Amino acid sequence: MLGKASARGLVGLLLVALPVSLVGWLVIWPIISAVQRTVWRASPDGAGHFDLSSYVFFFSDAYSLNNLSLTLWTTSVCAALLLVVSLPIALYLRFARGRLASYVQALAILPMFVPSVILAYALIRVLGPNGLIDLLLNAAGLPKLRTPYLTPWGPVIGLVWDNIPLTVLILLSGLGAVGNSAIEAARDVGANRRQRLWHIILPQITTSILVALSFAVLGIFSAFTLPYLLGPASPEMMGPYMQRTFRDLNDPVGAVTQAVVTFGFCIVFGLFYVRSVARNQGK
Amino acid sequence: MTHRTTRPQPLDVPGILLALALSIVIVLPLLVVGVWAFTEIWRYPHVFPQQFGLRFWAQTLGRPDVWHALRLSLTLATVVTLASAIICLPAAYAFARMRFPGRDILFFSFLAGHAFPRFGLLMAIAAIFLQLDLIGTFWGVALIQLVNTLMFMIWIPVAAFQTVDRRMEEAARDVGAGPFRVFRSITLPQAASTIAAALLLTFVGTFYETEGAWLIGAPGIRTMPVLMISFINNQMVIQFGAVLSVMLWVPSFIALMFARKVIGGNAFAKGFGG
Repeated sequence: MLGKASARGLVGLLLVALPVSLVGWLVIWPIISAVQRTVWRASPDGAGHFDLSSYVFFFSDAYSLNNLSLTLWTTSVCAALLLVVSLPIALYLRFARGRLASYVQALAILPMFVPSVILAYALIRVLGPNGLIDLLLNAAGLPKLRTPYLTPWGPVIGLVWDNIPLTVLILLSGLGAVGNSAIEAARDVGANRRQRLWHIILPQITTSILVALSFAVLGIFSAFTLPYLLGPASPEMMGPYMQRTFRDLNDPVGAVTQAVVTFGFCIVFGLFYVRSVARNQGK
Repeated sequence: MTHRTTRPQPLDVPGILLALALSIVIVLPLLVVGVWAFTEIWRYPHVFPQQFGLRFWAQTLGRPDVWHALRLSLTLATVVTLASAIICLPAAYAFARMRFPGRDILFFSFLAGHAFPRFGLLMAIAAIFLQLDLIGTFWGVALIQLVNTLMFMIWIPVAAFQTVDRRMEEAARDVGAGPFRVFRSITLPQAASTIAAALLLTFVGTFYETEGAWLIGAPGIRTMPVLMISFINNQMVIQFGAVLSVMLWVPSFIALMFARKVIGGNAFAKGFGG
């Protein structure tokens, strides 16, 4: 006979069994299997053997390496730009009150509700050839824009746009923990704006900044829709490259190898991100 | 901060600059799409459209592939939202209210998917689906979209159930209500609004999900975002994309209105580790 407490425990386990096994089947198993199938091939005689040839190919193929370095470049440029754009917005929202502040907040969060396909379409209409910017430049008698559409800057613009809301929200939530009293005390002893930002505020939100960056890096490194629609056809970012390898070249092992490479480059950010979310939840 | 408002306010220069910059960068591109949707002729170098009209609405709505995609996307979003509700809500209740072995580890296992770059993970799943013949099928797409909704539909309802006052539940139990009665009359009504918001966001998120649908579904399963990609790539008539964008944006707008409550709070950013 089961005790009442352990019977309740059993019910709890049963209730969570289905979603937990789905996570096991659709998240954890694919990752293990991805690593396994890229390092272990079946031989014709039925036995398996250790085989790193798909990685050797990836890291010796100039095209793959170009795609990887484009992805690294895009991710770092986006992360830097996101910080430069989002930190002032978050700082402003932390200390401002009133209708103007709510307007700024509403606009900063709006991109979260704009699907990337619509964003891509909108950016093409504005920045693309004969787009709105070209119309305005022409009306002002200026030469046309050298359009970022189908260059590496196209995805950068789109990805920064897309990631502003979460970056601002995460930074804002970190800034919420910075006490007014510390800032006012610093002001009373004569610290100017920059000193207050550098010595009082920034040290207290370092974790939030790192979380925001990790989140952005995880999203951008393997982004698909925006690079696919706004970026150059060659070299391409890892997202479109994987998709093309899988669907057009019919090479699942190659595509999964590329996926595992992206896992490898993002593992530090992923672990850091999960650790801080878990910590936050534990509080 | 009420004492601040009594002082005469100096001009909020950074606020005005930010508001202006964001209006141009965020709102203007969306506005341009809106204008294109109601434009019949707009040729370079005219700064404003030469002729407005609804001709392209009629043409877009007359396309069978648009209706097919719309129906498919709505079905898919409904199925995935219902499935994740059925799968996740009881589990969320268990995580919030019950003690069982391995509870914390199992709870945090839902984070695993977020430790990896998303499209890489989708790729790994696609490789498995290839062996299971799920590529290009409705259920393959539904399953991959379930991956996106699982964590969200666990974490937000757990938070909702945790905010329900335990003393009320205990009081109801003291006067003789059984566990199901307590759940139905006390717990569920108090958590309902947050759960409704989570369901709505799941529905909208699934409706717009592009990457999994494109990777697993194309070319057989064409959801609205997938159709939109082909409109953008093929560039046939500019207005088709614009009309589709405006149509697509309607559910998003409804979600925006409803979700303000959930997203306004710090809780949301906390869920993302802020």
